[in-house]
Amino acid sequence: METALTVKNEEFGGELIQLVSFNLEKEEYGINVLMVREIIRMLNITRVPNTPRYVEGVINLRGKVIPIISLRRKFDLMEAEYDKRTRIMVMEVVGELMGFIVDEVSEVIRISEKEIQPPPPVVSSGIEQECMSGVINQADRLLVLLDLERMFSADERRLFGNVG
Amino acid sequence: MAIDCEDQELLDGFLAETTELLEKLDDDLISLEKSPEDAELMNRIFRSIHTVKGASSFLGFDMLVKVTHKTEDVLNRLRKGELKLNPEIMDVVLEAVDLVKTLVADIKGGDIVERDLEGTISKLIPFLSENAVEATVLAPVFTTAKEPSPPPPAEPAQAFAGAAEAPPSKEAAAADRALAKAAAPAVQPKAQPIKEPAKSPAKGGEELADNSTVRVDVKRLDDLMNQVGELVLERNRMIQLHSDYQTGLDPAGFSDDFGKLSKRLNFVTSELQMQVLKMRMLPVEKVFKKFPRIVRNLARDLGKEVDLVIIGEETELDRSVVDEIGDPLIHLIRNALDHGLETPDQRLCAGKNRTGTVVLSAAHEGNQIVISIKDDGRGIDPEKVSRKAIEKGLITEEQLASMGTREILDLLFLPGFSTKEQATDLSGRGVGMDVVRTNIRKLNGIIEIKNDVGRGSEFILKLPLTLAIIQSLLVEVEREVYSIPLASVIETMRVSKSEFHMIGGQEVLKLRDSVLPLLRLQQTFGCQEVYRERDTCYVVIVGVAEKRIGLIVTRLLGQQEVAIKSLGKFLSNLPGIGGSTIMGDGRVALIVDPMGLIGGSEAAGARK
Repeated sequence: METALTVKNEEFGGELIQLVSFNLEKEEYGINVLMVREIIRMLNITRVPNTPRYVEGVINLRGKVIPIISLRRKFDLMEAEYDKRTRIMVMEVVGELMGFIVDEVSEVIRISEKEIQPPPPVVSSGIEQECMSGVINQADRLLVLLDLERMFSADERRLFGNVG
Repeated sequence: MAIDCEDQELLDGFLAETTELLEKLDDDLISLEKSPEDAELMNRIFRSIHTVKGASSFLGFDMLVKVTHKTEDVLNRLRKGELKLNPEIMDVVLEAVDLVKTLVADIKGGDIVERDLEGTISKLIPFLSENAVEATVLAPVFTTAKEPSPPPPAEPAQAFAGAAEAPPSKEAAAADRALAKAAAPAVQPKAQPIKEPAKSPAKGGEELADNSTVRVDVKRLDDLMNQVGELVLERNRMIQLHSDYQTGLDPAGFSDDFGKLSKRLNFVTSELQMQVLKMRMLPVEKVFKKFPRIVRNLARDLGKEVDLVIIGEETELDRSVVDEIGDPLIHLIRNALDHGLETPDQRLCAGKNRTGTVVLSAAHEGNQIVISIKDDGRGIDPEKVSRKAIEKGLITEEQLASMGTREILDLLFLPGFSTKEQATDLSGRGVGMDVVRTNIRKLNGIIEIKNDVGRGSEFILKLPLTLAIIQSLLVEVEREVYSIPLASVIETMRVSKSEFHMIGGQEVLKLRDSVLPLLRLQQTFGCQEVYRERDTCYVVIVGVAEKRIGLIVTRLLGQQEVAIKSLGKFLSNLPGIGGSTIMGDGRVALIVDPMGLIGGSEAAGARK
C-alpha cells in the first residue's frame, strides 16, 4: 500500500488516497483502489475440490484462470444468496490475481490519510485483527480499511501452495 | 561497474552471437580432443574465439579481450602444430572458455564485475613460451602444488604467475617430465582440484544459455503470417455474417453459412496451433550438447574411459520440456558414469572393452518423446539396492519380501537413497534420483528402468511432446466436468455397480485376470451426490508408470484437445488436480492429475 496513488491536498494537510468501498453483511469496507484490477458480475464458478471452505472455486477471466474467495466465508459471516448486486472484485494479492466475492460495491471515495485511525483493539465480527489496517470514522459512516495482503496467514499460504 | 554501451542493439547482437558461438565452442573442443587432426574443426574453433575477441574489443570489454586473446594465441599454436594437443592443454582452454562465459554472463546481467583473470591467463601463458612443448608437461606439477580447496583468487594466481615467469630450463623440465609421468596415475584423484575453479564459472555458463529469446526459421514465420491472414479473413466473414443476420437479410441461410464458417475457423485455428507449436519446438540438441563436456570432465575426475554416443539429437520437443529435462539428464548421466561404468581395469577383468559406452538417445514415439540413457557398465544389483534400502530404514524386511525386481529398482527413486558408501563430489547424497523423479513427474512423464546385471542398465524417460496443449478425456462426476489427460488413460468401460468388490476396505473391480483398485472421484473430490439411483457408471482406467487404477465417473463426455491453464500459485498444490482448462462455453474444467491420485490413494491406504 506504500505505492498508493497519493495527491497532495493543501486543505487537509495530508495525502489523499482513493478507496473502493464495498458492503458485506451491511458493514462497509474499503480497499485501496490501486489494489483493485476490475470489478465484475458473478460468473459460473467451478468448484475446486480439497480447498479451504472460503475458496469458492475458479473462474475464467478472459482466458486466465483465477481463484475466487468468498469474503463472507473468510470472515465467518452468514452465508447469503448471490443476487444481482453481488460482485467479484479482482485484485492482485502477493503477485497473483484473485477474485473476492462481496455483497455490493458502492463507490470510490477519497479520504485524507489523516482520517485513518488505527483499528480498535477488539473486533466483534469474525474479521481477523491482522486484516484490518484501520478504520475511517466519518460523520455518517464507518469504513473498515482492509489489507488483503495480510489476510492470508503464513499457514494458509502453505496450505494453499507455496506462495512467495 | 555498470555497462556503458551506447548502442543497446549492438550489445544485444553481440550477446546473442557470442552466446551461440560459445555454446558451439564447448562441443567443438570436445570433438577436437577426440580427433586432434581435424584441421577444419581446429579452424572453426579458432575462428569462433577470434570472432568473440574481435567483437568484444570493438565494444570495449577489456577483460574479455584479455582472456580471448591469450586463448586465441594458444589455439593458434595448436593450429600451426607448434603445440600438440593433450588433456592438460584442453583443461586450460576449457577453463578459459568457461571464464569467457562467466564474463559474458556478467555483461548480460548488466553489471561488469571485476573477475580474477590472472589465474586462468597464467595457466595459458606456459603454453605460449618458446619451450611450450616442455611447458605442457609442467602443467600437472602445477596442479599438485595447488591447495586442494578452491583457491582464493589472488594468492594462487601469484603463485602461478611466479611459476610461469621462471623460465623452464631444459633439465628442470626433463626432471619434471619424469616426475609427472611417475606421478600421473597417483595424481588422478588430486587432479580434481583443477576442476574446482572451472566449476563455478561453468554454472554461469549454463545460465548463459537461457531460452529467453528465440530464433525462428523465416519460413515458419511466413507460414504463420499466412495462417493469421486467413484467420483475419474468417473473422471478417463472421462479422459480415452477424451484421447480415441482424439486418435480417438472410435468416434462412444463416445456419448453413455459420456451419461452414465454423468448419473453416476450426481448420485455420488447428493449423495455427500446429504452427505455433512448431515454433516452440527446439531440437533436443540444445540440452544434449552440453553433455560431451560434462562426460569428459566426469570421466577424467573418476579415472574412467567413456565413449558418449548421442543419437537423435535433432528430435524436436517443446521448449518448456527442454528447459526441465536438463537437470534430470545430468543426474542420470552422472549416475551412469559414477555407479554404472566400471574402471578400465575392472572392465578388462570382466572381459569388456577398456572404454565404457554411454548412449544418450532421443526419438519420437507417437505423441511422446523417448529419451534413453544406456550404459554398458555393471548394471544395478537388486540385492545391493534392497540391502541398502533396509539399512537406511526406507523399507522393512516384510515389505521387501513382497517386492518384485521392478519394485526393488523403483526404490532408487526414494529420497535419501544412495548405494554409494561415501558421498562424493559427484553423487551419493541420495538426492539425485529424487530430483529425476520429481522433474519427470512435473512433466507428466514416465520413467522405466531396464537392467541387465553385469551388462549395463538403461533409464528410459517418456515425456509428452508439449505441456501447453493436451488431448484429454472429458468426464462428468455428479454434474461437475473434469478432464483426464488422454495420455494416461488406458481404457474406459461401462460397468454395473454390482460388479464392484471390496478387498480390505478397498473397492476393486475384477478386470479380465487382474484386480483393479477403484477410486470414486465423487468421494475424492467431495462432489455432491446427485445420481443416487443409477446403478451403472463408467470406469476410466488410468496408468502412471507401472501402476493402474480405475476412476469411477458418472459418464463420459468425449475427447477434446485442451489448453492447460495454471491454477495460479495459490492453488498449485492440490492433490489430484493438475491444472485447469477453459471449455467451449467459457467455463473452467479442472484437469485430473492421475499421478497425484494414485499417490493420494496410496497414502490413504497407509493411513487405514
